[in-house]
This record gives sequence, structure tokens and C-alpha cells, in this order.
Amino acid sequence: MSPADVPPPQPRSRDSVAIGQIGVATGSGVLRTFVGSCVALVLHARSRRAAGLAHVMLPASNGKGTPPGKYADTAVAETLRLLCEAAGEQSLSCTAKLVGGATMFAFQSGIPIGEQNVLALERILGDLGIPITGRICGGSHGRRLAVDVVTGAVTVETAGQGTETLL
Amino acid sequence: MTDDSNHRLTALFHHGAADASSALAKWLGRPATLSVERLETLPIEEAAAVMGSSETLICGCAMRIDGAIGGLLLLAADDAAGLSLADTLLERPTGTSTAWGELERSAVIETANIVGCAYLNAICAALGPAGADGILPSPPVFLRDFPEAVMEGVLMEQPVLSDIVLLARTEFRIDGTPVACGLVFLPDAAGVAALLPPSGNPEGT
Repeated sequence: MSPADVPPPQPRSRDSVAIGQIGVATGSGVLRTFVGSCVALVLHARSRRAAGLAHVMLPASNGKGTPPGKYADTAVAETLRLLCEAAGEQSLSCTAKLVGGATMFAFQSGIPIGEQNVLALERILGDLGIPITGRICGGSHGRRLAVDVVTGAVTVETAGQGTETLL
Repeated sequence: MTDDSNHRLTALFHHGAADASSALAKWLGRPATLSVERLETLPIEEAAAVMGSSETLICGCAMRIDGAIGGLLLLAADDAAGLSLADTLLERPTGTSTAWGELERSAVIETANIVGCAYLNAICAALGPAGADGILPSPPVFLRDFPEAVMEGVLMEQPVLSDIVLLARTEFRIDGTPVACGLVFLPDAAGVAALLPPSGNPEGT
């Protein structure tokens, strides 16, 4: 195969993001994940049709930081960096959506880890001036979500409770 | 995990499965066996997928375990297997239960309690002095959710989250027939320390 025959990189039309990981796509396609107590952080740059999805598990890395998608304090910056890289920009104007942070089991006392994740992400996004334009958080059920890379719309199915879309 | 550690742990979990089999058979009033399907250390992202990634819901009962071997125990099944188990316990023809009412939930919760405690008590007994404190289980919690969300909940319950987790999976047979039902035990850091001598600790757990 000659270089001319090599097809240009295409965004995957279906891209499932595992726990602690970050997925980014530009142009078109859908990013998907399931979350329970974890929080799905969605960053979207409408002007560049670019979306990033981080499956955040814990509020703070406490200096560990790998994989960066696992922790709220490293996931925001890394998702933003990957999004800029994918869009070929130095910086991007983004909006954010948050989904998840459920309390799956009520065994632990104190603030549930899911709620801590949401609070940490809200604080970090606020510090960076990234507006949160939609959220479906809390409760006690897991959620399946799909992010439309073009529009940034997030379709969220909550277990046993139907489907909503964050536009 | 070293081979020695694996052998030691497998032997311990076989003790657990044997006692849990007896308890389940007595509870159901028919032949039932649990066998250790797999004992492994997994990266968290793989552990989160051990229940599969089906878009349909599963049911489960979770118990937080404290004491000599701490961790979280989960009895999970697909809906059909869970409802069939409830029918057996409620002495109804299989297929009678079609939804998760209070009775069906109670039947499965009690099964998790009996089987889970028998399983872990046997492991404690096999540990000798290290297991002398026994286990302190929480009341089981019933849930019905996406498989990955259920496992995520299990993983998030651990006080210290590492990138590698030790996971024991057990399969069920009732009347000699495999049942789409599984028992997962995820020991916490203290639980791993009790289950393995220091030289045999799996890296990262």
C-alpha cells in the first residue's frame, strides 16, 4: 500500500470509554460509557465539532495522577489538552456536562464518593471558567450515556428510569 | 500474583465454596454447588467489566464485609436467573415471578446473606488464627442496574482504591444445571493482607 492509499484517520463512530479513561473524537461520531458512582465529564467545543469524555472515578489524585482520567483534578486538564490536540488548536472554548455520581450502595458514612466526584469537578470547571450547561447527577442508579460529537448533546439512560437528553 | 499465592488463595476459596454449596443446598432444598471459577488480579477497567457490558439490567445483592477479611461481596444474576431463584425459594413453578416485588427481593437478599456468610466464614476458619475475628457482614442491599454500574459500585466501595484488584468469582449450579448467577468477592487492602502472607501479596493491592 502506498502512502497515498493510506486512509486518513477517522473518528470511531462508536467509542466506549472505560473506567478511568478519556475518549476524544472530532468531526462526527458518538462517545459512550456507563457510570455508577463515577462521573462522566463531557467537554464539547461546538465550533470545532470536538468532544471529550472522561470517566472519572475519584475526586483527587493526591499526587498520583495516572491514568489522568481516573481523578477529577487531572481529568479536566487532560481532557482539555487532548481535545485541543485533536482539534489542532492551542486553546478551545468549551462547555461541560456532568453525568453520574450515584450512590450505588449506602454502606459508607460521610459524603458519598459519587457526590465528592461531582463537587470536585464543579470546582475545577469553575476555576477554569468552563460553564456547566447540563447535569444529571446523584440518585442511586447507574447511567448509560452517549455523547454526540457534532452537537454535544448527551443522551442519558438511567437504569429502570427512562432516557433524558442534555442539549 | 505468584503461583504460591494463587494456590493458597484457591485452596481458601475452595473451602468457602464447599461450605456455601452446603448452605445453598440446604436453603433451596435441592442439590446446589458453588465452584471457584476464577481467582485473579485485574486492572480496574477490566474488573469493572467482569459482569459483562450488556445493555440489559442485572439484579444483585451486595454486602459490605468487615472483620478478619474485609471487602465487598456481591451475588449477581441476570433477571431471569434471579427471578427463577426467587420462584424456587418461594416454592412456585419456575416462571411465576415476572417482576421484582418485595417477596422476590427478600428471597434473593436472604440467599445472598446465607451463601455469602457461609462462604466467608469457611474462609475465616481455614485461615486459622488470622481469621479468628470472623466476619461482620452488613445487611445485604438489593439493586437492579447496568452490569458495569454494579461492578463500578463494588469497586468504589473499597476504602483504598488501587489500580489492580483481587477478584474471586464463583459460579452456581442448581440440580446440576449452570445458573446465570455469580458470587464476586472483592477484598479490601486489609482483606488481602489477611488472605495472603506478606511475601505473597499481589503487587498493587
